[in-house]
Amino acid sequence: MEPIIRIENVSYTYEGGEQDQVEALLDVNVRVDAGVFVAVIGHNGSGKSTLAKHMNAILLPTRGDVYVLGMNTRDRSMLWNIRQTVGMVFQNPDNQIVATTVEEDVAFGPENLGVPPHEIRRRVDEALTLVDMRGYEQAGPHQLSGGQKQRVAIAGVIAMRPKCIVLDEPTAMLDPVGRQEVLRTVRRLASEEGITVVHITHFMSEAVMADRVIVMDDGRIALDGGPREVFSSPDALRRLQLDVPQVTELAFELSRRGVKMPRTPLTVKELAEDVDALLSGRYAR
Amino acid sequence: MSDAIIEVSGLSHTYMKGTPMARKALTDVNVVINRGELVAIIGRTGSGKSTLVQHFNGLLRPDSGHVKVDGRDIWARGVSLRDVRRRIGLVFQYPEHQLFEETVEADIAFAPRSMGMTPVQVDEAVRDAMRIADLDYDSLRGRSPFELSGGQKRRVAMAGVLAMGPEVLVLDEPTAGMDPRGREEVLSEIAALHGKHGYTIVLVSHSMEDVARFAQRLIVMDHGTVVMEGASHEVFRERDALVGMGLGVPQVTSLICELRAMGHELPGDVITVEQAVEVLAPMLGAAGRGGDRV
Repeated sequence: MEPIIRIENVSYTYEGGEQDQVEALLDVNVRVDAGVFVAVIGHNGSGKSTLAKHMNAILLPTRGDVYVLGMNTRDRSMLWNIRQTVGMVFQNPDNQIVATTVEEDVAFGPENLGVPPHEIRRRVDEALTLVDMRGYEQAGPHQLSGGQKQRVAIAGVIAMRPKCIVLDEPTAMLDPVGRQEVLRTVRRLASEEGITVVHITHFMSEAVMADRVIVMDDGRIALDGGPREVFSSPDALRRLQLDVPQVTELAFELSRRGVKMPRTPLTVKELAEDVDALLSGRYAR
Repeated sequence: MSDAIIEVSGLSHTYMKGTPMARKALTDVNVVINRGELVAIIGRTGSGKSTLVQHFNGLLRPDSGHVKVDGRDIWARGVSLRDVRRRIGLVFQYPEHQLFEETVEADIAFAPRSMGMTPVQVDEAVRDAMRIADLDYDSLRGRSPFELSGGQKRRVAMAGVLAMGPEVLVLDEPTAGMDPRGREEVLSEIAALHGKHGYTIVLVSHSMEDVARFAQRLIVMDHGTVVMEGASHEVFRERDALVGMGLGVPQVTSLICELRAMGHELPGDVITVEQAVEVLAPMLGAAGRGGDRV
């Protein structure tokens, strides 16, 4: 089956004048299959945002090709179809709302697609329900918190009915409460709506909830696998200057001291279960 | 006895006072910052923490209450606010957005120059500030601040405040929006400012993990008032109350809480990974050795 996104031997060079060429991607290959929740992590300058921007033809590769449901992003005649298939949410909550009210903003995309008015109404209501923003239809952007603005931006993308949504560090500028709100929404898109999600972040704790984690470093893919697999090499992650969740780090430190940890824990609950089992085993003896 | 450098008493503040948009941001706040300590102020967005720190150096004027620096009310007649602002250096959120000069050196020199220092004094202040902020003078002074990494930009912005020769540094969300590398860079810089250079530091932060690692004392704000105050490990004992305020506790603190709830006897004041290792390793080490016999 054709994957939603197929990135083949892609390199990308930012041209900043004669000397200022930055090779942001180097021969990258990625396939994103339908229905999968992928997190892409890496520090600033690792190429993760550049990669994301290739996924709906905001950037075109310097070398190599990107296919969205088989459509080459170089094919200008497919641009609309590509952008309708893969929607994008950006980092700054203040740069994404274009209309004066929430519902107008969410309606903006479908209106441009020529969707009939009654259908637009339905889509706006559905999208706002999905992001938990019903009741804010008439609110202006200045009345919303950062997390609410990001959720409206997500609703605007959802209303276009994309198969895939790419979120480029949507939580980077939010406080912990706003982050939780947005993450809850993202998770719901993936698990309940069956939308393919590509979530770009530098918070490792957010990568834990994905089906698959891609770690970028220096324009290349450094690690790629399930979260438990990726997090089980904390030395590699540290070398890449990414931090691991505290519980994962703690389990790693304990196993270095000879404790036989049954797995790489990703959450507080998992490690609590494991430590409880170990301690209780001893008490039972 | 503690030695207070900043004392806030009965402080209230309302934004847009006297208009229909009036919003009360602080209500009867009492806070003391002691000389030489590293204290963190935590609270969710809108809890009043940024408003509070802007009172520390007289950027905002209280509706009621007093702000004293070294025992003198900063709003009293005859007190120079300029001097207060030099002594209490405030580093805003995203301070790199305020960089504007063509070179790192010129940017850091801006404040000392506008304070009326002589060129020789300015030069000395810039060199000192860059040394303290761990920025190499020779290689960085002529660079454009805009071509530096995120962590370096933020340290240049901090150096701009350090160049005024402050006694207290107030940092509002110093790691906001940074990747782990930049965060580590800025946090170790803050630790050095406190440990090695002896600055009094007030850290406003959302990150409970960072606060647990660095702060000796926590002030918790909610809805414009101080709701908790104390040593970090004491404050983090109140997990449910903190979660109720939209805050949290470090993951390892949650873990120990869960294990205690499962009936294991563990200390209630674990707030860093290192402490958790110290507590758990001996208990589990025995279990691990038991397993080795097989």
